[in-house]
Amino acid sequence: MATESSEGEEEGKITGGNLVLALDDDLREMGKKAVWSVSSCKTGNGVSSLRDDNLDTYWQSDGAQPHLVNVQFQKKVRLQMVALYVDFKLDESYTPSKISIRAGDGFHNLKEIKTVELVKPAGWIPISLSGNDPRETFVNTFMLQIAVLSNHLNGRDTHVRQIKVYGPRPNPFPHQPFQFTSTEFITYSCVR
Amino acid sequence: MEAILVECVQNSLRHFMYRNAIFMCERLCAGFPSEVNLQLLAGCYLHNNQAYCAYHILKGTQMPQSRYLFAISCFRMDLLKEAEAALCNANEPGAEVPNGAAGHYLLGLIYRYTDRKRGSIHHFKQALSIDPLLWSAYEELCALGSAEEAAAVFDEAAAICIHKQYLHNGVAPPNALMSCEDQSLNFARCSTDDVSTKQLKQMVGNNTRDLAGSYHGSTASSQVASQALNGGSAHLSLYNTPSPIATQLSGAAPPLPCRNLLPNGPNLSAFGADSAQRSTVNPTIQAPRRKFVDEGKLRKISGRLFSDSGPRRSTRLAGDAGANASTNATSVSGNGTSNSSKYLGSSKLSAVALRAVTVRKGQSWANENSDEGVRNEVSDDSRSSSTLGNCSCPSGDKRSLDQEGASMPVAGSVLTNTRVLMGTAEVLGLLRLFGEAYRLSCLYRCQDALDVYSRLPHKHYNTGWVLSQVGKAYFELVDYMEADQAFNLARRTTPYSLEGMDIYSTVLYHLKEDMKLSYLAQELIATDRLAPQSWCALGNCYSLQKDHETALKNFQRAVQLDSKFSYAHTLCGHEYVSLEDFEHGIKSYQTALRIDARHYNAWYGLGMVYLRQEKFEFSEHHFRMAFKINPCSSVIMSYLGTALHALKRSEEALMIMEKAILADRKNPVPVYQKANILMSLEKLDKALEVLEELKEYAPQESSVYALMGKIYKSQNMHSQAMLHFGLALDLKPSATDVATIKAAIEKLHVPDEIEESL
Repeated sequence: MATESSEGEEEGKITGGNLVLALDDDLREMGKKAVWSVSSCKTGNGVSSLRDDNLDTYWQSDGAQPHLVNVQFQKKVRLQMVALYVDFKLDESYTPSKISIRAGDGFHNLKEIKTVELVKPAGWIPISLSGNDPRETFVNTFMLQIAVLSNHLNGRDTHVRQIKVYGPRPNPFPHQPFQFTSTEFITYSCVR
Repeated sequence: MEAILVECVQNSLRHFMYRNAIFMCERLCAGFPSEVNLQLLAGCYLHNNQAYCAYHILKGTQMPQSRYLFAISCFRMDLLKEAEAALCNANEPGAEVPNGAAGHYLLGLIYRYTDRKRGSIHHFKQALSIDPLLWSAYEELCALGSAEEAAAVFDEAAAICIHKQYLHNGVAPPNALMSCEDQSLNFARCSTDDVSTKQLKQMVGNNTRDLAGSYHGSTASSQVASQALNGGSAHLSLYNTPSPIATQLSGAAPPLPCRNLLPNGPNLSAFGADSAQRSTVNPTIQAPRRKFVDEGKLRKISGRLFSDSGPRRSTRLAGDAGANASTNATSVSGNGTSNSSKYLGSSKLSAVALRAVTVRKGQSWANENSDEGVRNEVSDDSRSSSTLGNCSCPSGDKRSLDQEGASMPVAGSVLTNTRVLMGTAEVLGLLRLFGEAYRLSCLYRCQDALDVYSRLPHKHYNTGWVLSQVGKAYFELVDYMEADQAFNLARRTTPYSLEGMDIYSTVLYHLKEDMKLSYLAQELIATDRLAPQSWCALGNCYSLQKDHETALKNFQRAVQLDSKFSYAHTLCGHEYVSLEDFEHGIKSYQTALRIDARHYNAWYGLGMVYLRQEKFEFSEHHFRMAFKINPCSSVIMSYLGTALHALKRSEEALMIMEKAILADRKNPVPVYQKANILMSLEKLDKALEVLEELKEYAPQESSVYALMGKIYKSQNMHSQAMLHFGLALDLKPSATDVATIKAAIEKLHVPDEIEESL
C-alpha cells in the first residue's frame, strides 16, 4: 500500500508552497532578457499576466494539453531555478499538477530536464534545475519550456499566476577566477 | 518720489519681502524709467528666483551692472551663450568685465560648463586676483585641478589687493555700506595701488581747502571711530574718506582751515566701520566735496606712498599702524601725541581744532550721531597726524586725521586700522589653511590634506563643511570606518547640511550598513526632497539591497533635479552596468565626464565596462586616465594591472601591482591579482608564496584557497589541492564558485581513481 507521499522526492512530488519566495543572494531573475510566449490563451488572460508581478492576474490556457510556456533568450544563459506561483484554493481544477521542464537550443531540440508533480500547491513553488553532479548546477541553454502536462481534478485548461526564472549573478569583478567572499576583499575590489 | 520708492524697495529687499519689493519697483520703473531702476527691478526678480523676468527686462541693456545681472539671469536659465555674450562682448575683446571679480567668476563658470577649460581657469584666476576673498573661485580652480598653492594665492599680495579693493570702494561713488575697515586696510596695504594712484591723482587736482571743507562735511556724517587709524590706516583713511564721507555727509561742512582736522576726523572715522553703519541719506552736495577732500588727502598720501621705498610697504604700514594703533588707542581723547613728534604739534592743534570742530559738528550733526564720530575724529586726527609722521603741512594733519579717522567705530565697537589689518591677516591665514587642504584633497593627496585640516583651529574644524571634507578624504583613502565617524560628526554639528552626504551614503554602502544607510536616506529626504544628494543616498540604499532597478530610478531623479551633479550620473552608470545595460551605462559615465573631467569614478566605470566587454585597449586607456587623476588609489592601480595583464603586457601589470601593494598595505586585492598574473605566467611557486602571505592576512577569503587549490592541482599536488578546495568550500563561496570548485575536485579524483584502478 503505497502511502501518499506528500513529500515524495523520488517522484518529484511537491506539496505546499511558500507565500514568499526566499532567494539566495547570488540568484537573479533572468526573465527580463527573454521573450515569453504561450501555446494558447484566453483573451484577457494572456502571457503578460505571467510577468506582471501581480498575483491576482493569471494566464489561462485555451487549447489542448500540454500547455506550454516558452522562454527564449538571445544568448546562452545559465539558469538555476524556476519559480511558479499557483494556488489550489483559488484555481482548483485549473491548478497544474504535472509539470515538465525542457531546455534546448530551440523548438527542434528541447530535452526534458526536470519533472515535478504538484499536490494541492498554494504559493510559490521553486523548482531547481540543477542535476546531482556539481558540474550540473546550472543549465546552459538558449531556451526553456515549461509544460503543464495535467491539472488537478483533470481540468483541461490551466491557470498560472506568475513564473520567474533565476540564474546566477555574474562575477561583479570581471576577469577573476573566483568571486570574493570576505568583506576586506569586497571593500577594496571596487570604486563607487 | 523716486527716492522714496527706491528706499522702500531696498528696505523690502533687506527684509526679504520680495513681493512688496517687486510691486514697488515696478511702480518705480513705470514712473521713472531709467536703467538704474531697471537694474533694481531685475535684482528683485532674481532674489525672488524669477530669472526669466529679469532676463526679459534687461535684454539689450548696456550698462555694466545691467549686463552682469542679465548674465546672471541667463546663467540661471541655462542660456550660457547669451550670458557669455553679455559679460564679454565679442566685438570688444579688451573691454572690462562688469563687476570685476564677480563677473570673472561667472565667466569662469560659463566656460567650465561649455567645456573650455583653459578659459575657465584664466577667468577664475582673474577673479581671484581682483578679489582674493572669492573662495568659490579658488574652489573651482581646485576642482579643475589647476590651483596654485594656497600660500601663493592668499598671501601679502592678496592682502594688498583686499585693501586696494576697500580703498577703491572708499573712493567710489557713495557706498554707505563701505566699511572703514576695508578702506583703512586698503590704505594700509596699497602702497603701489593703481587705484590709489588714480585717486591720488584725482586728489592732486584739488586744493586742500576744498579738501578740508569736504572732509569736514563728509566726516560729519560718519561716526568717527574712537581710535585713530595708524599710519597705514591713515593712508587708508585718505582713501576711505571719499566714499564713507560721501555716504555719510550730513549737513554742510563748516569751512575749516587746513589744519582743521575735524573734517579729517569725521572722514577718517567715516572710513572706519561706520561707513558701513551709516547708510543714511547722503547729501549729494557733500559728496563731491568729500571727493575733493579725499583727493587732496590722497595726493598727500600718494606723495608719501610713492616716496616710500621697498615692496613691503604694507608691512611697514601695518607695522606703523600697529604701533600707532596701540598708542592711539590709549589716547582716545585726541591727544595723539604719543606718535611721531612731527605731528605732535599738528595733532595737538588738530586735536584742539577737532574738539572745537567737534563741538560744532556735534551740533550740526547731532542727529547723525556725529558726536561719537567727532570725538573719534579728534583722536583720529591726533593719531593720524602722528602716524603720518610727515611734513607738518595741513594736509599732513589731515592725513593724520584721516589715519585716525580710519579707525572704525562699528555700532560702538571701534575697529582701528590695525585691527583691520590684523583681521585681514587672520582671514588670509585661515583661507590659506582651507585652500591648501582643499587643493590637496582635490589632487587626491588625501593624507596631506588631512594633516592640513588638523591644523585648523578647533571651532573651524568642528563645522559641517570641514568634517565632511575630512570624511571625503578618508573615503578616498578607502578608510571607511574613519570616514563614517567623520561624517557622523558632521551630521551632528550641522544636521541640515546636505553637502557631501552622497559620499557618506557611499561609505555606508561600502560598509554594508543597510540600517544606517536607510536611516540616512530617510533623514535626507525629509530635510530636502529637492536635493540630488538625498536621492543619491536613497538609490545607494536600494542598490545595497541589490534592487538595481529602483536604485536606478532614484539616481535618475537625482539627475533630473540637478543635471550638473556629476556623481549622480556616475551612480546611474554603475546601476546600468549592474543591470548589464552597457550602452546606457557608457552614456551615463560620459555625461558625468562632460560635467567634470576629473571625476575619476566615471573613468573607472568606463574602464570596467570595457573590461567586461573584453575591449582591453579601451579599458586600459580609461583606467590609466583614472590613475592619472588619482595616483594614490590602489584600487585603480590594481584594475589597471588587470587590464594590462589582459593585454598580455604582464611585466607592466606586475609593476603596477607592486605599486598598488605599496600604496595601500591593507588592500589584499592587488596581492591576489599579482598571484593571478604569476599563475598565468606559469611562475607557480612565486604565486603560491604570495598566496600564502595573503592567507595570513585574510584567512576568511575563499577565493584565496580556491586559487591555491587550482595551483596545486596544476602542479599535481593532489592532496594539497584537495585540502585547499575543501577549505574554500567551507568558506561558503558563491554558487558559481561552488560548482567550479566541486567540478575541479571531481577532476582531481579521476586521475586518483585511474591510478587506483591500475
